[in-house]
Amino acid sequence: MTAVLPEPAGLYVHLPFCLTRCGYCDFNAYAGLDHLASRYVAALLREAELAAPAWEGVEVASVFLGGGTPTTLEVADLKALLARVRAVFEVAPDAEVTTEANPDTVDEQKLAGLREAGYARLSMGAQSFDRSVLAALERVHQPESVVGAFRAARAAGYDNVNIDLIYGANGETAASWERTLREAIALAPEHVSAYALTIEPATPLGRQVSRGDTPAPDPDLQAEMFETACRVLGEAGYGHYEVSNWARPGYECRHNLGYWERRPYVGLGAGAHGYRDGRRWWNVRPPEEYLSIVERGELPVGGSEELEPADAYLEEVFLRLRILQGIPSSWVEDGREEPFLESGLLVRDHGRLVPTERGMLLLNELVLGLTC
Amino acid sequence: MSPVDVSHIRNFCIVAHIDHGKSTLADRLLELTHAVADRDMRAQYLDRMDLERERGITIKAQAVRLLHDGYELNLIDTPGHVDFTYEVSRSLAACEGAVLLVDAAQGLEAQTLANFHLARDAGLAIVPALNKIDLPAADPDQRAKELADLLDRDADDILRVSAKTGEGVEELLRAVVEQVPPPTGERATPLRALVFDSMFDPYRGVITYVRVKEGELPSRSRIRLMATATESEAEEAGVMAPEPLPVDVLGPGEVGYLVTGLKDVHQAKVGDTITLAGKQAASEPLPGYREPRPMVWSGLFPNEGGDYSELRDALDRLKLSDSSLSYEPETSQALGFGFRAGFLGLLHMDIVKERLEREFDLELIATAPNVEFHVIRGDEVSIVHNPAEMPVPGTYDRVEEPVVFATVITPKEHLGAVLDLCQSRRGELVETTFLTPERAEVHYVLPLAEIVFDFFDHLKSNTRGYASLDYEPWGYQESDVVRVDVLLHGEPVDAFSTIVHRSKAYAYGKRMTERLRELIPRQMFDVAIQAAIGSKIIARETVKAKRKDVLAKCYGGDITRKRKLLEEQKKGKARLRKVGRVDVPQDAFIAALRVGEGAKKK
Repeated sequence: MTAVLPEPAGLYVHLPFCLTRCGYCDFNAYAGLDHLASRYVAALLREAELAAPAWEGVEVASVFLGGGTPTTLEVADLKALLARVRAVFEVAPDAEVTTEANPDTVDEQKLAGLREAGYARLSMGAQSFDRSVLAALERVHQPESVVGAFRAARAAGYDNVNIDLIYGANGETAASWERTLREAIALAPEHVSAYALTIEPATPLGRQVSRGDTPAPDPDLQAEMFETACRVLGEAGYGHYEVSNWARPGYECRHNLGYWERRPYVGLGAGAHGYRDGRRWWNVRPPEEYLSIVERGELPVGGSEELEPADAYLEEVFLRLRILQGIPSSWVEDGREEPFLESGLLVRDHGRLVPTERGMLLLNELVLGLTC
Repeated sequence: MSPVDVSHIRNFCIVAHIDHGKSTLADRLLELTHAVADRDMRAQYLDRMDLERERGITIKAQAVRLLHDGYELNLIDTPGHVDFTYEVSRSLAACEGAVLLVDAAQGLEAQTLANFHLARDAGLAIVPALNKIDLPAADPDQRAKELADLLDRDADDILRVSAKTGEGVEELLRAVVEQVPPPTGERATPLRALVFDSMFDPYRGVITYVRVKEGELPSRSRIRLMATATESEAEEAGVMAPEPLPVDVLGPGEVGYLVTGLKDVHQAKVGDTITLAGKQAASEPLPGYREPRPMVWSGLFPNEGGDYSELRDALDRLKLSDSSLSYEPETSQALGFGFRAGFLGLLHMDIVKERLEREFDLELIATAPNVEFHVIRGDEVSIVHNPAEMPVPGTYDRVEEPVVFATVITPKEHLGAVLDLCQSRRGELVETTFLTPERAEVHYVLPLAEIVFDFFDHLKSNTRGYASLDYEPWGYQESDVVRVDVLLHGEPVDAFSTIVHRSKAYAYGKRMTERLRELIPRQMFDVAIQAAIGSKIIARETVKAKRKDVLAKCYGGDITRKRKLLEEQKKGKARLRKVGRVDVPQDAFIAALRVGEGAKKK
C-alpha cells in the first residue's frame, strides 16, 4: 500500500489591532484594544498548542500574519509567536512566512528584527501614493512614509515585498491612479496587489454612501483603472496571476494561492477561518470572547459548515477562475461557455476555460453563467 | 301589508353631480318619512348599507321605499360614472321622474347634464332643485336662471333646498308627488319586471333589483329571465324600507328586490326582463336590453411569483358579482400566462384591479389599456382588442377606432384651454354653447383612445378643476393608427406594444425607450432599446454594457462569505425575467407600464 501524503497546509494568524480604524475596512480589526495585546499574544500561543494536534502529519507550507496591523505588536511578541508555531506545527523549512505591515508602524530596526525572527516576506499596506486618496481612505500615513518604510525594508534585507494598493476612492482620477501605480513600480517591489475599493455596508464609508454623503465608486471608472493596472504592471514585468494580484515570476504569494486552490489551512486568532476536507470553520470574532474561550483551554470555534457538492463546485469554479488557471471545459455543462467565448470574456487554453482581462472584470457574471 | 294603489306610487331618482348633496338629501328624505327610527339614523345612511345585515344579506340600497302622506315613494339610485351610462339608463327606465339636483354655488356639471338628457329622453318628469342654498357662496338666482333656461321653464319653478338644514325638503317631496306621474301597468297581464341592478350575495346568491312594469311578481315563483333564457325558483321578493322587508307580491309600478335562486349574475343582467316561467310567461321582453360591451381592454398578469391559476380563480369569482367583466386567457412572452380583460371603462378597470388585489390578495401587472379597433380588409372586419393581434401595416385597407361624443362644461375663462386640449387629442368640434354668459358647454367628437389615458387629469389641471366631462359612445371612424412595438436587443416585448395614432407614435416610443433605459440594469452587452412601427425604428436608447462585476478582494480565508455573496447574486438573477438575452426585473415591467397610466377616477 502506498501512503498518500496529505496536502500541505497554510497557517493564518489574525491580529485585530490597529492604530486607527479606516472608514472602508470591514475586517475584524479594532483601534484602542492595545491593552489586550499581551493577553492576546499569550492566547495565540495557547491556541497554537490546542489546534496543532489535529494537524499532525500535515506540512505547513506558509504562515501569514494578517490583521488588523500585526506590526503594532512588539518584535519580541511576533518572534515568540512564530517560534511557537514552528514548535507545535510541522512548518516546512522553506515555508513562506509573511507579515502585513503598515508604513507608520515600522522602521529599519523593527523590520530587521522581524526578518531575523523569521518573517521573510513583507506585505505593506501602502494603498495609494496620492495624498488626497489616502485622506479619502482615512489612512493616517503619507506617501513619503511608504517610500521610507519600503527603503527601510530593503535596508533590513527584505527581498520579497508586496505593496497593497486600493483604487476608486472618492476623488481619485484615472491619471492619479496611474501615477500611484508608477510610484509603486518605481520602488520595484516583488509583488503588487491592487484592489478596487468595495463599499461594505457595515462601515463608516458604507453608511456615508448610503446616506448620499459620499458617492459610490463609479464601476466604469474602476474598470478603466483595472485595465490601467493590467497594462502598467504588465509592461513593468509583473505577471497577473489573480484578479487583484501581480508578481515578478516566482514571487506569487503561496499562502494566498492556498486559499484559491482550496488547499487546507488553519486560522489562529479572533475571527480566523480554517478549511480542511470539505469543512470550513471560523473562530469567534470579538477579541474578548476569543480570549476568554482560549484562556479556558478550549478551541474558540464560533461556527462551521460542511460544503455540499454544489457549494464545493461553485467555490472551485470561482476560485480557479480568479487565479487565471481557468477550469477544465468538462466542468461546465455543454454550451454554457459559448456566449462567454463569443463575447471574449473567456478563452480556451489547452482544454481549459480561462478568463480574459474583460472576463476578470465580470467574473461574477462568468461564474454564475457557467455554473447555474 | 296591503298593496298601495298604483296611483299612489311614485318612482324617482336623483340626478346630481358628485358632491352636490345627493346622499345628504337622501338622509333628509329618510328622516322626513320616518323610514329610519331616529336612534338608527346616521349620516349617508344609504351609502353605508353595504354592510352585513342580521339576515345574512349583504345588500346595497339601490332602491329605497319611503312612505309619505299615503304615498309609496321609491327612490332609485343611479351610478354616477360615465363608465356606467347604460346602467344609468336602466335605472332611469325604472322611474317616472327625476329630481335634477344642482349645487347652488357650482351650477350644472357635465355629468348631471348628460344624465338629465338621458332622463328627459326617457320621458321622465324632471323636478329641478337647487341644493346648498345655505352656503354663503350660493348664487341661487343665477343658477335658477341657468336651470330654467336649460329646462325651458320659469325660474320660479326651480325648488330651493338645503339638504343640510332640511329647508325646502318637504316641498321637494310634495313636488315629487305632484309632478311625477304615477306608474301605469295592468295587474292581470303576464309579468314583466325590469332588472335595473343585480348583485351576488355569498349567502343568498344573485339578488336583483326590479321594477315591475306589469303583472305581478309573487315572492316565491318560478321565474324566467328573458334575455338569457334562464329559469329559476325565486326565493323571496321584498322592498328596501330601507332594511330588506319581504313582501308577498310586488305589483305593477312597484320597485323591490328579488332573491332569484341563481348563482351567477351573468344569468340576471342589468336590463333583462323577468317574467314567470311556463304558460304565464310574457311573449316580449321590455325594450332597451343591451349586452354589456367592454370599451377598454388590458392584459392582467400575476406579478413575480404569482400564480396564474389563482388569478383565474379570482376572476371567475369576481365575475359572479360583476356581469360587465369579460376576459380570455392571454400569453405574453414577457409576462407569462395571464388574461386579456375587457372593462366598461377605466374606472371599471381600476375597480376590478383593486378588488382582485384587495379581496383576493393578488399582485398584478396590468398592461396599458387600449380600446377595440376594427381592422378592415375588403369585406372582412376583424376586431382587435390586443396590440399583439394588430396586423402589420400594408396587410389591411384601413382601421377604425371608437369615438365618443364628449360634453365638457367649463367656466368661460377656461374655454380656450378646453378647446386646446380637445384639439390636441384629435378632437372634432361639434359646437360650443353658453349655458349662461359665464359657463360654456362644449361638444366634441373625440377618439375614445384619447380619453382613456390622462384626458380627465389634463382637463382638470388645465381648468383649475372647474371643467367637468361626460361622454357617450359615438360609433367608429377611420383612423391612421399604428402598432408601436418596443424591442429589447432586437426582441419585441409584447407587453409594451401599443396601438396609437401615428401622430402620437414617436412620443410614445420616445417615452418608453427613455423610461426603459432607466429601468433595465446593465447587462453583459450593450442593450438596444428601440421603438418601432413595423420594421421602421422610431426611437432608440442604449443601456451600456456593464464592465465590472467582480469581488475585489478574496483572501483572509473567509471563502464562505464570498460564496454566499455569489449565491445571493444568483437568487437575484433568478428573479429576473428573460426577454431574449436580456434580463429584465419584474419591477421594470410594472414601472414602464405605468408610463401610459394617469387615468384617474372621476
